[in-house]
Amino acid sequence: MRTLAVALDLLREAASRRWFLALGIGITLLLACFGLALRIEVVDGALAATRLFGKVLDTDIRSVDVAMRYVYRAVAYVIAYGGLLFGIVACADFAPSLLSPGRIEHLLALPVRRWELLAGTFLGVLVLALLGAVYGAGGLTLILSVKTGYWTARPILAALLASVTFAAIYGAMLASALLARSAAISAAVGVALFVSGIVAGNRETLAPLLEPGLRRALFEGATLLLPRVSTMADTAADLAASVPVDGLALGSRLAGLAVFALSALAFAIWRFEQRDF
Amino acid sequence: MGYSSSVLALEATALSKTYGRFLGRGGQQALSGVDLAVPRGTAFGLIGLNGAGKTTFIKSLLGVVHPTAGRVSVLGGSPSDPAIRARIGYLPERLHLPHAWTPTAFLASVARLKGLSAHAQEVRRQLARVGLGNDAERRIGGFSKGMRQRLGLAAALLGSPDLLVLDEPSDGVDPLGRAAIRVMLGEERARGATLFLNSHLLSETERVCDRIGILSGGRLVREGELDALCGSSTRWRIRFTPGCPMAALVALGFVPVEGVADEPPIFSCEAADAPVLNELLDQARAAGALMVELRRDTRDLEEVLADAVADGPGAAA
Repeated sequence: MRTLAVALDLLREAASRRWFLALGIGITLLLACFGLALRIEVVDGALAATRLFGKVLDTDIRSVDVAMRYVYRAVAYVIAYGGLLFGIVACADFAPSLLSPGRIEHLLALPVRRWELLAGTFLGVLVLALLGAVYGAGGLTLILSVKTGYWTARPILAALLASVTFAAIYGAMLASALLARSAAISAAVGVALFVSGIVAGNRETLAPLLEPGLRRALFEGATLLLPRVSTMADTAADLAASVPVDGLALGSRLAGLAVFALSALAFAIWRFEQRDF
Repeated sequence: MGYSSSVLALEATALSKTYGRFLGRGGQQALSGVDLAVPRGTAFGLIGLNGAGKTTFIKSLLGVVHPTAGRVSVLGGSPSDPAIRARIGYLPERLHLPHAWTPTAFLASVARLKGLSAHAQEVRRQLARVGLGNDAERRIGGFSKGMRQRLGLAAALLGSPDLLVLDEPSDGVDPLGRAAIRVMLGEERARGATLFLNSHLLSETERVCDRIGILSGGRLVREGELDALCGSSTRWRIRFTPGCPMAALVALGFVPVEGVADEPPIFSCEAADAPVLNELLDQARAAGALMVELRRDTRDLEEVLADAVADGPGAAA
């Protein structure tokens, strides 16, 4: 299938970019450094002592799974916010680069349908984001699990949730690239959605701060359709920290993100089909 | 047009394209009612000044640009059909190549998108053919302009397409490289491929193509066989040695060519076929004239283009 071929080419292109090589090397070095510097002593399933870079961390003796919840929660937030921001900046150039003069004419003259080109690009970027998030979260989880003997895949699940949020944001970035072929505009759209998504995640808290009437209605209407970035980050953190998560609410949020991403992708494909290059 | 659609590699009927239309109004007209039929196996050269609409026409043939009006048929189908595009090899004017990739990786990617099975051998073959066999694993970023152009040509040649659409194929290529490209294009024609060439190098177009179209102001102002456009097959130019009997030659029907500074002047004459020509020359020799040069009285493409543009829609504007 040519969509997969386009996605694989995007991954090859990413592998040849210094940004992504630096990211891969950076994550690996951080994990290795963290793994070598962290010493954890577990006695009868309880965290007895922890040393980071030889310095004893002053913590109470508590069971390993409880102690790890705080760590994994922090990791989930770092991935949800830091990973999203990095992904927005690092992936902003893929669609404008695909549409660059001399490249797009060549691609469109090949036996690839236009929607396959866009869907392949979207898929490739998602796989890239997923690989980065799972590699970082998986590596960290593996190190902590080996050192503590407490095994869990929840931080990886949290990373997957962050990737789904990124899918919604990247769908809009892709659509913006079809309107204006610019990596800067694509990144700006991503950052704007990221920030407004944090606001949208707190809309129930923020709406009462506005006076009832048109302004509040406008705020509620505008934030209704936006991806709930902060809500998803909180859910990912809860999931990583073994806090019970309402499955129905999570499913509803995931469905909302999927609808947003697919709508943005459908708009991008519609625009792509109309355009001359 | 005089051809049945089954023998046509491409056909454009009343093709028009206007850019930047708003609510169906205004905009910049790039093509205006172009009718063109190119038979299969032809080497067709499209020439014209900058902004004549050549690139828009090529992009319309490939489905990259949507025509505002008219119809395009390529290899008997619509260019929007991927099965049709699979039979086309295209080299854009300025092909964007991934700098960090090797030629092998780039061609393998193109081959995958073309749906070629067992493409590794085909990639090696085409790289060797364009003279990049020894650079197959070097990064494209270190390539010269000519090497990039040859790599783009290799991408177009992948899978032995039925139609090759080449936009400035020898741009930036050195003279020996151009000769090699001409040989390759000759080989492609020999196996039955149709060539559609857009080039500003008119001498290259003249050497490769047997049919020419001239676009001016978005209209096709000349189209036909190269020989028919560039001159008459019955008109000849002859140079005699100094001191030839001018009066006798003029009496025989030789016309001194005006505007040529040579001494003695070059003559032209009409001869329907070889026996008539030889008889005329015999009579000239009998009158005491010694011939030193004989060639067909043709114009080069530059003159043909200049005339066509002067007579075309741009001139009337």
